[in-house]
Amino acid sequence: MILRSGGLVFIALCFAASLAAQESDSTSEGNREIAKVAGQVEGMTEQVLAIQAEVDKAKKFKWSGYVQVRYEAGEADRDTVRVAGAPPTFTSSNLERFFIRRGRVKLTYDTGELSQAVVYFDGGTDRAIRLLEAYVSISDPWTPLRQHQLAIGQFNVPFGYEIERSSSIRELPERSRAENVLFPGERDRGAKITSRWTPQFETVVAVLNGGGVNHPEFPNTDPTRGKDLVGRARWSQGIFDVALSGYAGRNTTPLTGPDVETDKTRLGFDGQYFYDFPVLGGGSLRGEIYAGTDVNPDSVKALVTTPSSSNPNRLLRAGAVADHLATDFLGWYLMWVQNIGERFQVAARYDSYDRNTEVDHDQFERLNVGVNFFYDGNTRFTIAYDMPTTDVSAGPGRFTDPHDNTWTLQAQHKF
Amino acid sequence: MNSSLRKAAVATAILAGLGFASQALAGRGLTIKGSDTMVILGQRWAERYMAANPGAMIQITGGGSGTGIAALINGTTEICQSSRPMKQDEKLKLRDRYQTMGVEIPVAKDGVSVYLHESNPITSLTMAQLRGIYDGTIVNWKDLGGPNEPIVVYSRESSSGTYVFFKDHVLGGRDFTPRAQTLPGTAAVVNAVVHDSRGIGYGGVAYARGLKICPISPDATRPAVAPSEAAVRDGSYPLARDLYFYLRKKPAGDTGKFIEWVLSPEGQRIVLEVGYFPVK
Repeated sequence: MILRSGGLVFIALCFAASLAAQESDSTSEGNREIAKVAGQVEGMTEQVLAIQAEVDKAKKFKWSGYVQVRYEAGEADRDTVRVAGAPPTFTSSNLERFFIRRGRVKLTYDTGELSQAVVYFDGGTDRAIRLLEAYVSISDPWTPLRQHQLAIGQFNVPFGYEIERSSSIRELPERSRAENVLFPGERDRGAKITSRWTPQFETVVAVLNGGGVNHPEFPNTDPTRGKDLVGRARWSQGIFDVALSGYAGRNTTPLTGPDVETDKTRLGFDGQYFYDFPVLGGGSLRGEIYAGTDVNPDSVKALVTTPSSSNPNRLLRAGAVADHLATDFLGWYLMWVQNIGERFQVAARYDSYDRNTEVDHDQFERLNVGVNFFYDGNTRFTIAYDMPTTDVSAGPGRFTDPHDNTWTLQAQHKF
Repeated sequence: MNSSLRKAAVATAILAGLGFASQALAGRGLTIKGSDTMVILGQRWAERYMAANPGAMIQITGGGSGTGIAALINGTTEICQSSRPMKQDEKLKLRDRYQTMGVEIPVAKDGVSVYLHESNPITSLTMAQLRGIYDGTIVNWKDLGGPNEPIVVYSRESSSGTYVFFKDHVLGGRDFTPRAQTLPGTAAVVNAVVHDSRGIGYGGVAYARGLKICPISPDATRPAVAPSEAAVRDGSYPLARDLYFYLRKKPAGDTGKFIEWVLSPEGQRIVLEVGYFPVK
């Protein structure tokens, strides 16, 4: 019996020893597995950090842009289709047509808080790819919120409200006529300093070549030391914003012999009031005035001889006064925008531009109305009707408004 | 029918078509997007609200306050959850599209908490010390009375509202140290600090699990304060903040009912359950 009991104890001890050995083996095996998994996790973490570093680099490149495609139609068969821009281009052989107004891509490289570079191209209208903007922007290192920025290159002229407002967010397809004539292409080359003194108050001061990107001789225009100066002060309260802008420069009219230089001055004031109806949605009333002195193509035509094969000289006509090549102008617009729910928006604008305030029947006036439908966060459709009033002399003392109203149907996708 | 009338008729027909499309595109239910700090709170609100209102449909997604605000601007969310106030530039972008500066509704309070590993002997930090750690001028725990170990700094991505809040209130708008490791969410920051005895991170008070919250003093002359409800509500905690809902317009209809419920005693009780503090 004792032997039997001893045998059982011995077997039990052997079994326990075996179990302990197994447990020890499995524990060390488990530890090895944990170490293996920990190593794998560490390796994966290193890989993730390496990928993250590459992603962080790629995130410094920011692509954006938009495409605007249109169908434009003149008012009547005998009318011409007015292509946007200043001076407006008319074509009688293309009364109704599909048109790519803008196809734009912008690349911003943002290295962080202190500097960035922007290049911006447009391939719309006539298929030619043009450089719209290219500038280097440097922020000041001495204010925490980087309140002062210096931009050097080609950028929007910092004047007024509608010039710097992207065409991708504008409620009507085109800007006012005054802006189109006074700042064709909206952009120029130079340097500007933007200072945000408070969240509401901002000033911009710029020195520009003065010709603008749509000048026939751009970018070689104005190689002289005489640069144009422009400045703007804006108070942006949120509900009611106002700004005062000024521009001072010189225009050169090339003649045979000494050229004629005339004043190019512009004073602008703009204001926007925003309101919110509880069910309908937000709305705004906006206005802007442009006034000053600028060279007048009509005056140049009247006061300067046209070169011909018999007389290739381009001279002031006898008795003409050089200063009269420039005239006082006045342009303005009033605009109303009303959102209707989340997807619809209506807009109406009346704008006027008088290139010579001392002469009748040379002013342009226009009523624009439009409806925007926001299909999703990127795409919107616009229907706009453009009703310009332009006097055309139909004989001595008789003036008429031609039938040149235009329908525009536009689809835009922004990315 | 002359040409003008025909074109006007076509335009009217297109408008009518767009009107029908608008009806078809109108989504069912309420979309809420934005702050990762608030995503759990938002989910809890949505679950309870949908349980009490069987017809209601609410979808919550994170991505960060910046992402939510961008979605509010481009119209892909009805409500943006944000752990920071909207910036002036963002309000102006919203105004460009909707003619309004948006509607801001504080829905909860939070104290942005500084996370330390449980074994870290540091018992408090001043705002200046915290700034030094995050701008890279203090790099070793021994400079703060701790062990001779390098400080491993964890931070968030720039789309995070907590990142922006911390940058504005701790760093005074200046840059984070380039040594800071950027992590995609508060949970990731918490996880990193839990497993790193040398680590320091920051995030919403409700996320603090398995680590130590470090009390903060405004300066060396004043006592350090932990982000308790009382300290957050009376503003004595230096990193107290509001958590917001942003909308494009004044709330009405189903959105209005939901927000009214969020601000009700029941909705605010859920704020406490999740770990934040009620606004009222």
